[in-house]
Amino acid sequence: MAEDIISLIRENVIQGRVNQDDEGLDGGMVGEPGVTELIEKALAKRLDVRDIINKGLTEGMNLVGQKFENKEYYIPDMLASAEAVGAAMKLLEPHLAQSGIKPKGKVLLATVKGDLHDIGKNIVAILLRGAGYTVKDLGNDTEPQSIVNAVRAENPQFLGLSALLTSTMVNMRDTIQALEESGLRDKVKVIIGGAPASEEYARSIGADGYGSDGFQALAVIESLTST
Amino acid sequence: MSTSSIRNEFGIDTGQVLKHMGYGTDGVPSARIESLVKEYADNISHLIEPSYSYVIRDVNAVRGSRVFIEGSITFRSNIIARLLEECQKVAIFVLTVGGRLGEVVRQLSGDGLMVQAAVLDAIGSDAAETLAHVVQDIVAREAEAEGLGISLRFSPGYCDWKVSQQKTVFRAMSGDTAGVRLTSGCLMIPQKSISGIIGIGPADKVGSYNPCLTCNKRNCMGRR
Repeated sequence: MAEDIISLIRENVIQGRVNQDDEGLDGGMVGEPGVTELIEKALAKRLDVRDIINKGLTEGMNLVGQKFENKEYYIPDMLASAEAVGAAMKLLEPHLAQSGIKPKGKVLLATVKGDLHDIGKNIVAILLRGAGYTVKDLGNDTEPQSIVNAVRAENPQFLGLSALLTSTMVNMRDTIQALEESGLRDKVKVIIGGAPASEEYARSIGADGYGSDGFQALAVIESLTST
Repeated sequence: MSTSSIRNEFGIDTGQVLKHMGYGTDGVPSARIESLVKEYADNISHLIEPSYSYVIRDVNAVRGSRVFIEGSITFRSNIIARLLEECQKVAIFVLTVGGRLGEVVRQLSGDGLMVQAAVLDAIGSDAAETLAHVVQDIVAREAEAEGLGISLRFSPGYCDWKVSQQKTVFRAMSGDTAGVRLTSGCLMIPQKSISGIIGIGPADKVGSYNPCLTCNKRNCMGRR
């Protein structure tokens, strides 16, 4: 029974179904329980929260990531799945501590100064939360000094910087410089992303990693977590 | 110099919206996404407040990478200089679909409703592009009436034309920027706005210039 519920959670993450009103990616699923109903059922049956997250949500998102990479899924499909995981994590959050689940790490996210685009950053936030990270989102148009202050106050393991425009991309470099000047650069791994960024650009400004999309950002943070 | 500023209504191209959302020529959207795009596109009118303004000024001279425009306006860019060197006039425009749509996108995104936020954001992008085509068509008709043609549309941030030149574009509008303002970083508020120029000159000379044809940035988002 436990496995049935968890495999249904996984399947509904893949279908991007938040609740029973969603028709699902393949259609025709209205009325069937979605991720939130299944999570409530799993909690009522006292299933292991760790299994719900790892075997249900994370495995589901991993499969979505594979489909995205294989171009079976496109950004909106991935967003629907991320939305389902986000809704699930809201229900699970109060149960994490009592289940002995510790966050994998803390990540600060910010769209840099001058840039107002934040959809990409918000996707990364959902994927990270679903993968077990604590995420603090500093918002958009964030001054380098505000980011430095937040790093000092929050002491995160990771800082994710985002910019959509070539004109604001340079503010990722300025933010890293501000971290260096404040003596905090060695305390936090900096990952950058956004349409104009690249692996090469990340290296040139002294970032620790680059994510070409949300899944890549998560993969880079996971790989840096394990080192 | 001549100016024009009006509001109008127009439709949304759902095929283009899907392109904005990442579906290329091979991508087939799921029925759910397709129906969501259609539903939002059909009911978007209350979120779109189109407004545009343009001004047509004489091109006085082109020297190196500098273009001297009537009214002490100077554009600096090799590409823009090449674009305007055969032009007698230039249409300078600012347009927007308003701020209401952006507010709803932010609310949806903040509530974790990412799909709806992405669909609305893409519809906003398409609406702004559609409005830019409207402005381009109007300028083309004005040019044609004088036996002239128009160039491709260019915005600050394209090629080597620095985004900081937004300030010059806005100054050229003589105070009517269709309700759009610039941040200190030269981004436009509301976000779904476009500013730029269209060259006006002999049709056989100005219509054919496209710097993308000799550019190596194959994955450029603005490639034409």
